[in-house]
Amino acid sequence: MRRRPVEPRRNELILTSLVDIALSLVIGFMVAMPLFFETGIFVSAPGVARVGKSEPGSDIKANVFIANSGSILLNESPVSFENLQDLLPKLLDRSVERRVVVATDDSVRYERVMRVLDIAKQSGAADLALLRRRRVR
Amino acid sequence: MKHTVDIDILPMAAVGLILVLIMMVISPLVVSQNSTPVTLPQTHTSERKVENDINITYTQAGALLVNDEPVRDLDELGAALERELVSDPYLLIVVRADTACLHSGVLDILSAAKAAGALRIACATKRFREG
Repeated sequence: MRRRPVEPRRNELILTSLVDIALSLVIGFMVAMPLFFETGIFVSAPGVARVGKSEPGSDIKANVFIANSGSILLNESPVSFENLQDLLPKLLDRSVERRVVVATDDSVRYERVMRVLDIAKQSGAADLALLRRRRVR
Repeated sequence: MKHTVDIDILPMAAVGLILVLIMMVISPLVVSQNSTPVTLPQTHTSERKVENDINITYTQAGALLVNDEPVRDLDELGAALERELVSDPYLLIVVRADTACLHSGVLDILSAAKAAGALRIACATKRFREG
């Protein structure tokens, strides 16, 4: 019976587990980092305007109004959030300036307004303007 | 004779560890950019890039802070913004308002920023997390 030649013992570091942990940490950080970052939406500074009485012009306007009751009006027609997501892109596709004007009542929560701004941005709005409400009856 | 293939993973381990170290060093800086905690609205869209900007924090309790320094009212806010905007009017003003705030309060801040000469204003948001 032949004996196997004894190989000289090599002093090597076992790096596999270290690499696994390091790469897991990298992936964990890469996934988590965007959640830590604050992003933002650019807005035009507010002014006072008469919502519902838009200036005469050739461009199609997208005026969104949010009432205290929670109802949303798009160019004076009541819409839901879901309808707004459908209608705004169609409206903005025909607009040159792609401007969305958002006006609100006094007691509307900021979160609700940001939700509308988010929908507007997703719909392709180039400019978002926030207005204080002075609605024409 | 049986050949064994040894992959030299030492450089990869070194690169991985360096990346981990860099991220561990950078992440506290990013997270502690603003120490005042507010619940920011979550959106699907985002435009703002990280830059040297002025942060206005508006908490749920109604407190106002400019770059984490508390200010009493909108007049003081306007004065603080004017001081910052003198050197560069194109500095980005980022309004970090809590989701529970009233929008009219945010509009007051935006008006004050506009009156102080701000040309670029953004509302801070957080990237929407699915699920």
